[in-house]
Amino acid sequence: MTSIFDSLQESLAFLNLDLFMLLSLISLLGGTVIFLVMAVNALVAVYFERKVSAFMQDRLGPMEVGILGFKGGKKFWGGIGQTLADAIKLLTKEDILPKSSDKFLMILAPFIIFSGAFLTFIGLPFAQNIVISDFNIGLFYIVAMSSVGVIGIILAGWSSNNKWSLYGAMRAAAQIISYEIPIGLSLLLVVIVSGSLHLGDIVQWQETNRWFIFHSPFAFLAFFIYFISTVAETNRTPFDIPEAESELVAGWMTEYSGFRWALFFLSEYANMLIVCIVASIVFLGGWLSPLHLINIFPESWYILDGPALGFFWVSLKAVILIFVMMWFRWTFPRLRVDQLMYVCWKVFIPFALANLFFVSLWELIF
Amino acid sequence: MSEYLNNIVYGVKSFLTGMKLTMDHFRNKKELVATLQYPHEKWPVPERNIGFNHSEYNLIRSRLHVDIDDCIACMQCERACPVDCIKIDSIKPPKGSEIDCGMTSNDTQKKMIVSRFTIDMSECMYCNLCVFPCPEDCIYMVGGPNAEKHEIDYEFSQYKRDGMIFEFADATDEAIRDAGGEKWLDQRDVKLAKHNDGVELKGEVKSVKPDPITAPIKTDTPISTAKPATQTSESSGELEIKSFNDISDKMCRGIAKKAFMAAKRADKDAVAILADVAQALSDAGKMTEDIQSILDRLSASPSKAVAPAVEAGGDVKVESVPDAPEAVEMKEFDIKDLNAIEDKMARGTAKKAFIATKRSGEDKVEAVRKALTDAGKLDTATEDLLNSFSGAAAKVSAPVEAEKLAESTEEAVVEPVGDLPLFEIADLNGIDDKMTRGMAKKIFMAGKRTGKTRTEVIADLRAGLTEAGKLDDATNTILNKLGSGN
Repeated sequence: MTSIFDSLQESLAFLNLDLFMLLSLISLLGGTVIFLVMAVNALVAVYFERKVSAFMQDRLGPMEVGILGFKGGKKFWGGIGQTLADAIKLLTKEDILPKSSDKFLMILAPFIIFSGAFLTFIGLPFAQNIVISDFNIGLFYIVAMSSVGVIGIILAGWSSNNKWSLYGAMRAAAQIISYEIPIGLSLLLVVIVSGSLHLGDIVQWQETNRWFIFHSPFAFLAFFIYFISTVAETNRTPFDIPEAESELVAGWMTEYSGFRWALFFLSEYANMLIVCIVASIVFLGGWLSPLHLINIFPESWYILDGPALGFFWVSLKAVILIFVMMWFRWTFPRLRVDQLMYVCWKVFIPFALANLFFVSLWELIF
Repeated sequence: MSEYLNNIVYGVKSFLTGMKLTMDHFRNKKELVATLQYPHEKWPVPERNIGFNHSEYNLIRSRLHVDIDDCIACMQCERACPVDCIKIDSIKPPKGSEIDCGMTSNDTQKKMIVSRFTIDMSECMYCNLCVFPCPEDCIYMVGGPNAEKHEIDYEFSQYKRDGMIFEFADATDEAIRDAGGEKWLDQRDVKLAKHNDGVELKGEVKSVKPDPITAPIKTDTPISTAKPATQTSESSGELEIKSFNDISDKMCRGIAKKAFMAAKRADKDAVAILADVAQALSDAGKMTEDIQSILDRLSASPSKAVAPAVEAGGDVKVESVPDAPEAVEMKEFDIKDLNAIEDKMARGTAKKAFIATKRSGEDKVEAVRKALTDAGKLDTATEDLLNSFSGAAAKVSAPVEAEKLAESTEEAVVEPVGDLPLFEIADLNGIDDKMTRGMAKKIFMAGKRTGKTRTEVIADLRAGLTEAGKLDDATNTILNKLGSGN
């Protein structure tokens, strides 16, 4: 498994740059690509979120705004320019810093949160060779980096000098730190079985054996624990008590507007994409096609399995998971704080620990 | 422990139930989506009627519409409108001109060119009252029973409030000019220019004080110019209403002229008139230094003794009020005059009251009026009769007169109403109906012989024609025009 970083280093070798210049150039290119991916992801995901929510509530959602006059579908999927218009509106909004806020921290906070999401993308493979930098501890790196955001959240809440912001930040911190435990335990189970933290190796294991979700009943359960915990980790409904609109206005984002708020928004949807891609790589076979699951297809069909379509399969699995996340959001009401903690500490963590034990046992026996 | 497990099982179950519910809605969006894409899709408007005859009453008062080709400018809808949202202007082609105003769909020959027919839909309250009087059925609410004339239309949103004033008249400027509407066009253009400049839209309070540039001219020149003017007026024995045109504020001017006319009719002298004017203005709270200076200037020449009296306007007023009834008594209110009252009963009541007051020495006219009003016999003719004897009559008709005056001053140029000479009998030829014309001319000649003023003659005309039931719109317009000096 080669990374984009390595490929670029090879292909740019003819420029005869010194190492520092080369690294700067590659970082710039890679960063631009990551930012574009995040931006496009946010645009598309917000559009889909609005459409999914609308359909689930018997509405139509945005139908009028088009791009250059093209509005998309006539009946249901119109208004494709809506999120672009919203983004332009956000960027042209007034930049407000409350008078009694801690200005330095308030400006810093969105960038920390954004950096958390941004850095995670570096180790996140979109397909077999499409990864900015191929860490051999990729899974560990991703889990570590997605926890950086919580510092930004606490900073944002504290610096806003607003009771709602602070409450929201406290809740967010408690929630994110709590739910990192079941996430870690579920992923640890995969690491035990595959014997590697390298995402390429994990997919390699699934290719030779089977998708990890079908490894054992315990792994099947672990997938759900992981997935529901990530919903909480990304602060989405039903676990959105940090920004509970009906209680806390907008939680730790209350005092933010314009571009800074746009960064929060971008990070939120980027985090969604990250956890879904990790889930699809770790549990759902990554860039392997689902054709392997049922061996009824003729040999010629396995061309779909090739590395060229790896990106397609990863995206497809991620999109389905993102849809399920939206489905959760527009189905369930928000949990109470104590219910949230109950689910984490009394249900997920004991079950995850038990899973870990039984999967270890399973590995010893089979 | 079992409770714990039951909780988990229950949680998973309800979780799946909820997911299924939303998924059903997501999958069946074709049937379930309730949104109406409003400008593109519309609900059909229910066809509903109300009333005894189902074809007559239209409950959906959706929008007023005018078939302007059928409009004969009879102004009935304008007068019927309780909120005055309909405004009609018409131009009558001069006699003998070849202009054909067209025929209506009811085969009525149109005699006017409708130069303006605006309906302000932001004021319209959809009461339908303008629809019933229309003799040509050309103004109506669209939709419902009138659907074949004009389809239903309940969406007339506009980007500006001005857009809610819908213009229906389609006469071109050339047609109006040909029909002799030059003046109307000019007035309209002045108005439009004002509107475009935003004069009336800015909401600025016009200061009563004259501009610093014009102020010295106004205050300094009277020594040279105003003195001769007032002297001439002194020699001719009366002030002119034009003298008040120096007052810059419209409202003040109106009040001043009103008081002037009232006082003039009571045959007061110049000093008393000025005192009345000053009193009226200070009563209305409009007295400013500028007006005071104008009044001072006007009263400067007649007599030096009066000048301080004008400044202490209130005192003079107290004196001048009892003057009015005196002037009335001079006019000799005789019992024989009451013979002009046609109704026997009313005549009896009036004479009884007259004799009673003669004994007690009270104001006879007022007493007669009161007696008649109490008996419910006070009709317009009798009132006119009484008015012609009463100084108070001037006060009664003065507000009406002054309102007209104020209107006309607001419109454009100040028109010297009171000083107009009596109009010519030929001016009444504009009246179409022969009977009416004859009657009007008779009344005119009677008024002329007794030496009545223009306003009095017009009031007589109006009273006489109303009594005979001949006062239609066209005649009314003619009388209005004569009254305003056109």
